[in-house]
Amino acid sequence: MVNEHNIAAALRLEPRPAPWEKPLSLELALTDCYKTLRDARPAAREAAFLRIQLPAMMTPMRDGDVFAGRVRYPLVGLSPELMGVGYYCLEKPIREILANPAAALDDTARARIGDMLAFWKNETTHAKIRAAYPDDVRRVLPEDDWPRHPGAAFPLYRMAGITLDNEKLLRLGLPGLAARLREKPGQSAGQPAPLVENTLAVLELLADLSRRYAAEARALGQAETAAALDAIALREPRTLREAIQLFWLVTLAAGVCNYGRMDVWLGPFLARDLDSGALTRDAALSLLRALWRHIADSHDNMFNNRICVGGLGRPDEACADQFALLAIEATRTVALNQPQLSLRFHRRQNPALMQAALASIGEGRTFPILYNDDVNIPAVAAAFNISRDEALSYFPYGCGEYILDHASTGTPNGLINLLKILEDTLNQPAPDGATPDERFPTFETLWNAYAAQVETTVAALARQEKITYEGAGAAAPFLLISALFDDCAARGQPVFSGGARRLGGTLESYGNTNTADSLTAIRRLVYRERSCTLGEIVRACRDNFASPDSARLRRRLLDAPKFGNDDDEADSLAARVHEQACAAARDAGPRAGFDHYHLVIINNGANTVLGAHTAASPDGRAAGEPMANAINPSPGLDRNGTTAFLNSLLKIRPDIHAGSVQNMKFARSLFSPASLPKTAALLSAWFDAGGTQAMITVVNRGDLEAAMREPEKWGHLIVRVGGFSMRFVELSRDTQLEIIGRTLNE
Amino acid sequence: MTASADSTSPDLALAGAIFDVQRCAFHDGPGLRTTVFLKGCPLRCAWCHNPESWSRIPPEAAPAFRERRATVGELMAIVRKDRHYYDASGGGLTLSGGEPARQPRFAAGLLRAARAEGIRTALDTCGCAPPSAFALLAPHVNLFLWDYKATDTAGAPSLHRELTGRDPGPLLDNFRRLYAGGADILLRCPLIPTINDTPAHLEAIAGFARDYPRLAGIEIIPYHAGGLSKYDRLGLPRPALKTRQPDERTKARWLEFFQARNLPGITLA
Repeated sequence: MVNEHNIAAALRLEPRPAPWEKPLSLELALTDCYKTLRDARPAAREAAFLRIQLPAMMTPMRDGDVFAGRVRYPLVGLSPELMGVGYYCLEKPIREILANPAAALDDTARARIGDMLAFWKNETTHAKIRAAYPDDVRRVLPEDDWPRHPGAAFPLYRMAGITLDNEKLLRLGLPGLAARLREKPGQSAGQPAPLVENTLAVLELLADLSRRYAAEARALGQAETAAALDAIALREPRTLREAIQLFWLVTLAAGVCNYGRMDVWLGPFLARDLDSGALTRDAALSLLRALWRHIADSHDNMFNNRICVGGLGRPDEACADQFALLAIEATRTVALNQPQLSLRFHRRQNPALMQAALASIGEGRTFPILYNDDVNIPAVAAAFNISRDEALSYFPYGCGEYILDHASTGTPNGLINLLKILEDTLNQPAPDGATPDERFPTFETLWNAYAAQVETTVAALARQEKITYEGAGAAAPFLLISALFDDCAARGQPVFSGGARRLGGTLESYGNTNTADSLTAIRRLVYRERSCTLGEIVRACRDNFASPDSARLRRRLLDAPKFGNDDDEADSLAARVHEQACAAARDAGPRAGFDHYHLVIINNGANTVLGAHTAASPDGRAAGEPMANAINPSPGLDRNGTTAFLNSLLKIRPDIHAGSVQNMKFARSLFSPASLPKTAALLSAWFDAGGTQAMITVVNRGDLEAAMREPEKWGHLIVRVGGFSMRFVELSRDTQLEIIGRTLNE
Repeated sequence: MTASADSTSPDLALAGAIFDVQRCAFHDGPGLRTTVFLKGCPLRCAWCHNPESWSRIPPEAAPAFRERRATVGELMAIVRKDRHYYDASGGGLTLSGGEPARQPRFAAGLLRAARAEGIRTALDTCGCAPPSAFALLAPHVNLFLWDYKATDTAGAPSLHRELTGRDPGPLLDNFRRLYAGGADILLRCPLIPTINDTPAHLEAIAGFARDYPRLAGIEIIPYHAGGLSKYDRLGLPRPALKTRQPDERTKARWLEFFQARNLPGITLA
């Protein structure tokens, strides 16, 4: 997800600090650097490039900052995901700056910028990746601009969801990490390998940055921050403040925006500070609240910024729990839509964590998001084909995709719209002029045609994702990530070029529920009751249910069973759609060269955007309407009560994908003191029966409508959209209506 | 309660008239429950919020409100789907209505089938049915949710009759008989501001607390206007009830009444 704030800042022509005050001067310098080193070793090129980019993009501290480290990416640069993949050049905003008369650019500068754009045209990592697609992949994925084009599948260009080994970082500190790297000089005897040598250069750059920020902090009167910054330039961190500061600087420099199991690596610092009396609990809470605000303000990214606490596999559980409780308290009291705090829990966990979580959720925070380790750990072990011990480190990043914390990659590099595939299957012109009913005389013939199309598309997406990894790896070793990612150092290889312990990928899947409900309606009306023909349904959908006959047929389609009502007729097809698509991805992964490749049924608003380009469907959904969110029922069509909805979710297998999102909307009254024990029992019974995770929005009936009428009064209302939370009043009207339409459990 | 002759297996084909099944009910007894709403009610409470339960509703009523026949077997297939939620929350099956005791054989059959599977049961009743009906039902009910609606004043015309259409005497006789027989009963008292929240009624509720110490509890159910829109969907005129939803002060005043009599166990539902 490209960082819109950086683009907006550039378009406002906000000058950068010296020496980059002139618009696009930084971009030109970065381009020159790249050109000079175009054919150098990628590690040397990256280190030289970062020597310019890092000090320039790390913007000065602001008054009131408790932690140093703000970032504003240039419009040409290197990033794993936030501005695109690898070396990027954002042509559109650059052209807007060129067209802006207020931009102080002389003819020479304009000419150089024109040359720069021409240079990057085929030189960005994105362009090189697209150019590398073989014909069959290009046929399935002809278009990159998915929000504006209809299609069943699209590529996404990014290396999302990387997390760093912060435990190692905080244990060693910058100097210790450098010393550790020097101990392992790599393959070439005596001489440090280019990877090591250039990583050392970047670590030195970070120490310089820390000293620069220390001077800024002193100038702002932030003596404690200054002392912490001086300290981490020289040695490993020893206090909670120092640890947070080092984590944050390295994270920003690495281009990472998901933070892993924070209680594991900050818990010991908190415990030490509390034990020594260096911090009171209130002071520690203030620090965390400051960090939460700093993340939301300086690194605003509602699709990411995930922090996980709780769960199995933490070395010092009591110490981590102490931090987790403080983190939940920070989330409850800061009341922002970020960071996305997530609680992993299990049966024998300290119950105080879940109690605190429900209190925060009940106040309408949508956080923490709940993840059930008792189900998810065996599910991840099965899906990723790894041991239970290795699965203990699963981490839901971004919108809910599972990776193994700093051990496996799992970026979603593709979108698939299953409902569009069903639409294409039903509407494909038959060469012999056969009608839909002649082409598909039985339900199984229709299913097989649909399923084959899914398999072909998924196989192309898996290959495209592998090409994306290769393109990213060829562009840069991503030195800081590789220094803090499992097995890269031991193997002497960068993260995307053989270093990562497990090379994984994911594929975002949309329209699953509408596809299942469509197939259920077709199976019932056409093949079981024989009360209408497939041709009639296809025509009614093309017609968007406009004619009186189509409208009548639509009512019958809507009356057919729907997923989310604990009705086996509908739920079994939902399970079948899910299992087929998941198996297609799982099987395509190893063929494309992945350790694991899985579907993720998450949601980032693409259900609405892709729905806008999807025709009316046989479940009764009108053309252009949003598709159901993630693995959830279609809005308002789960009518049999909360337990029925929850039971339906239990029929979707968790052990064959890399994360699915369950959004639930509860009335505030269910979190009142009188009802809370029942609500807690409801969730606990569901989790015991196999529920994987829950993203819970708590609202009053009428709140959402009132917020649409008077947005100025409802700025505090946070809702879970799909895989992210947002202030309700800032959502598009379409998405607001979609959320209002979801069933309110009360 | 001790089970009566329950050696035979439940009659799953037994059918009755219902109008709704609500899963995950939070307010129909302990824990999370599945509530089956039985059709037909002998009372016409002035504030009725379930008018769809009446036997005769206009044919143009919304389809969701129409009567349907259901068998014990069909209903149990739904009820048992949520047993993990009952187990976790101390919930179970509730029969409500309407007045479920007006279909005693069907209601008893359904309750018995649930109990045979270890699912706890509750019966939400106004008490308006023949004593024989309660005798049939009682062995299969873990908890009665007993509605107590209005209190008459000696010498005055019956307020209970005015507000519900029936005299209170036989209802109270049923209550006393069940209590004497050892039934677990939770008394539930809908309070409708200016309509039935008279001092005599509040005093009578307090009297229940003193006279029947084995009650499972006494709950005040403040009036809510949530059922009014159902009249529109049924094509029925809305009740001409001059009241409003109680504000916090009114509710506090009710509670103070009982607290002043040292009866803190009487709570708001």
